[in-house]
Amino acid sequence: MVGVSGISAPYIYICTRMRVRKTTLLPREEYMRMLNMSLPEITRFIGETHYKQEIDELGTTFHGIDLIEVALSWNLAKEYQKILEITPGTLKQFTQAYLRRWDIQNVLTILRGKMQGEKAGKIKEVLIPAGVLDRLILDRLLAEDNTDKIVESLKAYRMYPLVFAREYPLAKESGSFSKLENALYKQFYAEIIEEAGSGIKGGNLFLQFIRLEIDIKNMKTLFRLRADTFEEDAREMCISGGTLTSSDFVSLNAIKNQDEFIDLLKSKIWHKALLTLLEELRSEKTIRDIEIRLTRVQLDQMERMSKRHPISIHPILVYLEKKKYEVFNLRALARGKESKLPSDRIAEYLVM
Amino acid sequence: MAAEAVVTAVDVGMTVEQIAATQLGMKAMGAGVAVGLTGIGAGVAEMAIGSAAVGATAENKDVFGLVLLLTVIPETIVIFGLVVALLLLFV
Repeated sequence: MVGVSGISAPYIYICTRMRVRKTTLLPREEYMRMLNMSLPEITRFIGETHYKQEIDELGTTFHGIDLIEVALSWNLAKEYQKILEITPGTLKQFTQAYLRRWDIQNVLTILRGKMQGEKAGKIKEVLIPAGVLDRLILDRLLAEDNTDKIVESLKAYRMYPLVFAREYPLAKESGSFSKLENALYKQFYAEIIEEAGSGIKGGNLFLQFIRLEIDIKNMKTLFRLRADTFEEDAREMCISGGTLTSSDFVSLNAIKNQDEFIDLLKSKIWHKALLTLLEELRSEKTIRDIEIRLTRVQLDQMERMSKRHPISIHPILVYLEKKKYEVFNLRALARGKESKLPSDRIAEYLVM
Repeated sequence: MAAEAVVTAVDVGMTVEQIAATQLGMKAMGAGVAVGLTGIGAGVAEMAIGSAAVGATAENKDVFGLVLLLTVIPETIVIFGLVVALLLLFV
């Protein structure tokens, strides 16, 4: 049933669910408390939150850091699959398209693992079946003997066949999947932009969200390239579809002076929050610090967009992103504690 | 009032009884429209609030009492319509 304003009841239902679910995510204070805990204490603490089921189920098989890692991955996958199940209509289509990034990550993990001769069980531990390729399909791919057969099997799941046909032979020859990874993500963004711009209702709002993400990703890449001593072909690293074009990207990458670089970047970007952040980045900062600050601005902007469009794809995508960063934070915390890093050092890695 | 009615009756060629019956019919129609339209209005409002209420309850069962209260608030519109209808029919 469509209401007077053209917004249907299932859309309101799912957007409210996502907003309520977002309130259950761990707040900053909990992270600060966990920074003062040991690894077993963190495990127990996580076991009392919405990760309880996974910690209980896996508690007999895994211990210590492995238990936290696997429980977090399982929870993230379960959460994403559940959202896909309950999301109606075009929102489901957009969510599915957005979650395909996990397919790329999982397939690349399997390919890299197989290439290095890792056991299937070990590779399986790090997979996050949150995309279209579910646990069963990933198990089938894991059961294949070599990478050629895995790529062959992927044809059945419409997993970017043209990109694999073009890039896989080169990747196999060089022994590195980094160029294949870049090509896959570029194709992923090209496809979701095409889908969002195909005239489906709500597509424009989806496009706004994707454009912001691409802008932030391109900016992170630019800062990484500046920090990197290797000479890379910048054009290959740029994701099209955002505010920055490939030629902007190349010319920005060619600038060595930090002030000139920031000035030119500011002239290309129109997000007010990003402009303020860029001004702060004039002084030399570590690449990790820059990336965390950019991610915070991205999440903040996404949150604002979801408040401006409360019944749209935005509340769903904001929840997906925030959940992802909660898992990343907990993983960073657990890893940091395992490596006996000081608390203030671990805090630098958290997106709070 | 009666004189006006007679004049009108003369103008349109209706008897006093016919005019009284028409007035009663109009009142009944007005009452029906008052209740009907407010009912539709409350329904539309409750659709949005109800969907959000079910969504919130699905995530957190503790809010059931509160969202139930919020869902029935648009019912007041129907009560206003009902009061108007009763005033039309009986006052």
